[in-house]
Amino acid sequence: MKKNDEFYVPYIDGSLGKKTKATLKKFTIGVFVIIIIGALLFSFTQKPFKNSTFELTSATKITGTFHESPYPMLRVEIAKNTYKNILLLGFGKSSVNPFLKKLQNEIKDLNGKTLHIEGNLIYYNGKTLIQITDEEKVTLANTSKTEKPLKELVSKMTLQGEIIDPKCYFGVMKPGKGKIHRSCAVRCISGGIPPVLATTDKNNMSQYFLLTDLKGNPINSDILPYIGKPSEITGIVEKMEDWFIMKINISGIKELNKKSSIY
Amino acid sequence: MGLDYQLVLWNKHKKTYDKIIVFSMLLYVILFAIVTLAFNSETSAETLIIRAFGSLAIIMLHIILIIGPLARLNTNFLPILYNRRHLGVSMFIAALIHGGFSIFQFHALGDTNPVYSIFTSNMDYGSLTNFPFQVLGFLALLILFVMASTSHDFFLGNLSAKVWKRLHMMVYFAYALIIAHVFLGAFQQETSLFTIGILIIGFIAVASLHLITAFKERKIDTTKANEKEGWLEVCDISEIEEDRAKIFTVENERVAVFKYDGKLSAIHNVCKHQGGPLGEGKIIDGCITCPWHGYQYLPNNGQSPPPFTEKVATYELKLDGKTVYINPKAFDEGTEVKPCKY
Repeated sequence: MKKNDEFYVPYIDGSLGKKTKATLKKFTIGVFVIIIIGALLFSFTQKPFKNSTFELTSATKITGTFHESPYPMLRVEIAKNTYKNILLLGFGKSSVNPFLKKLQNEIKDLNGKTLHIEGNLIYYNGKTLIQITDEEKVTLANTSKTEKPLKELVSKMTLQGEIIDPKCYFGVMKPGKGKIHRSCAVRCISGGIPPVLATTDKNNMSQYFLLTDLKGNPINSDILPYIGKPSEITGIVEKMEDWFIMKINISGIKELNKKSSIY
Repeated sequence: MGLDYQLVLWNKHKKTYDKIIVFSMLLYVILFAIVTLAFNSETSAETLIIRAFGSLAIIMLHIILIIGPLARLNTNFLPILYNRRHLGVSMFIAALIHGGFSIFQFHALGDTNPVYSIFTSNMDYGSLTNFPFQVLGFLALLILFVMASTSHDFFLGNLSAKVWKRLHMMVYFAYALIIAHVFLGAFQQETSLFTIGILIIGFIAVASLHLITAFKERKIDTTKANEKEGWLEVCDISEIEEDRAKIFTVENERVAVFKYDGKLSAIHNVCKHQGGPLGEGKIIDGCITCPWHGYQYLPNNGQSPPPFTEKVATYELKLDGKTVYINPKAFDEGTEVKPCKY
């Protein structure tokens, strides 16, 4: 061991000698260098974040036709005869259903009814979702029934992608996919948020498919083991205006041994 | 040394040390935030906080882990060791911010208890690449919490130095968990040769410094001593510097043989405070003074001077010409032994 004639005793003033001070100075400079290099490396090497948006601090009021098959949505006319189906979500990692209960107690079947909904918008890549945090912010605009979106059969397809929770993926979290986010996506989908298959083709074009069982019913708990992993999924694809729906048999999902390539 | 427990026994050096810790942590977080916002402005505040404090905590842990061996290899580093607990607690705070935000972000506001969710949301325990890495980070955070919350002298005194030391040696288990947490988690998705490289270099630095220290220390314990009528030969008296000691191993216990004022005395090498090496200490005001925190013992009886109550075992020495011999049988802690005069 390299011994030092100086002997530092914390409670004795002046016991910190010159050689020891010089070593401490070098060590402190070394620490600053490590801190600066570390901060630069860890911050510079982050993968780019996407420009998805979650309007956490501002509320937006939307009006449209409610429909709940396969998952609760509001069909909003954004231009003459052009509609956007906005996916309805609850607070945190939960379904919108508890926030519709109050109105459903007054009007049993909300399907086809026009509703006003105020909440926080989430949007990315042409898709819009809304988080509702207060049941009082869901009100009836009028009781007359309006038309629901039509579903057109596309074909049977086999697609590669990743099952994501749309709330985080389309804006609440960055990144809202992959291994780091898997636990959160599991909690969201387990809590009633619809599972969505996100695919990205060679031209970097993404498509999104709301997943249901073969009968078109919502799926949540059974799909949890497959979330956040690159997978191959076969199912019947339908188009519902601005969304695709994919009816699948969960047991047919194949995990792919490769890196996630969605976005 | 302190007789009563106080939250922090402040002195000028501790204040400087803590200012450097706070400045370094702020420098890291601010620099990380500026670079991220300048070059990757679409980030979210939560992700920025999670990443900045997580990477800061792991860098701080590497610095903490190299202080011990550095101080063993060069006594100039001892003042850094002296206040290492403040660095440890600061590192825990950084890890807690990372872990707290992550648990809230990924597991709270759901359909189950967030802690239960950490263990059950990803059940791929049989897979390496899909392994639930957050469990590893959570277990490491628990260990760091136990260490940070018992880092005060109150716990050191009440748990005993031996138990406290064993508890705090769990930092190596926490380090292994954190490395696995990062490699099986963040590095699976945010793969960069630079960040993987910096952690590999960090691991090599920590491991090699510990190995070099262990190799040097082993020499003390494996030196064969000549025996003469039940006494073991320690060294020639000239090999011991005035007011300093030679460390010698008898019956698997290290003993510090001190030379002072024309006398020789031997006491057990391990300080009762934190297990510091008394044989690397110095006689100050007639007392053996521990190099780690300045705890003191009288050389002739191994007792801390009143009103302090710490005691260590003592040993009998004899001189044959200029050769120092030791009786390998230790006396009870605090036993008076007449110093050997030369």
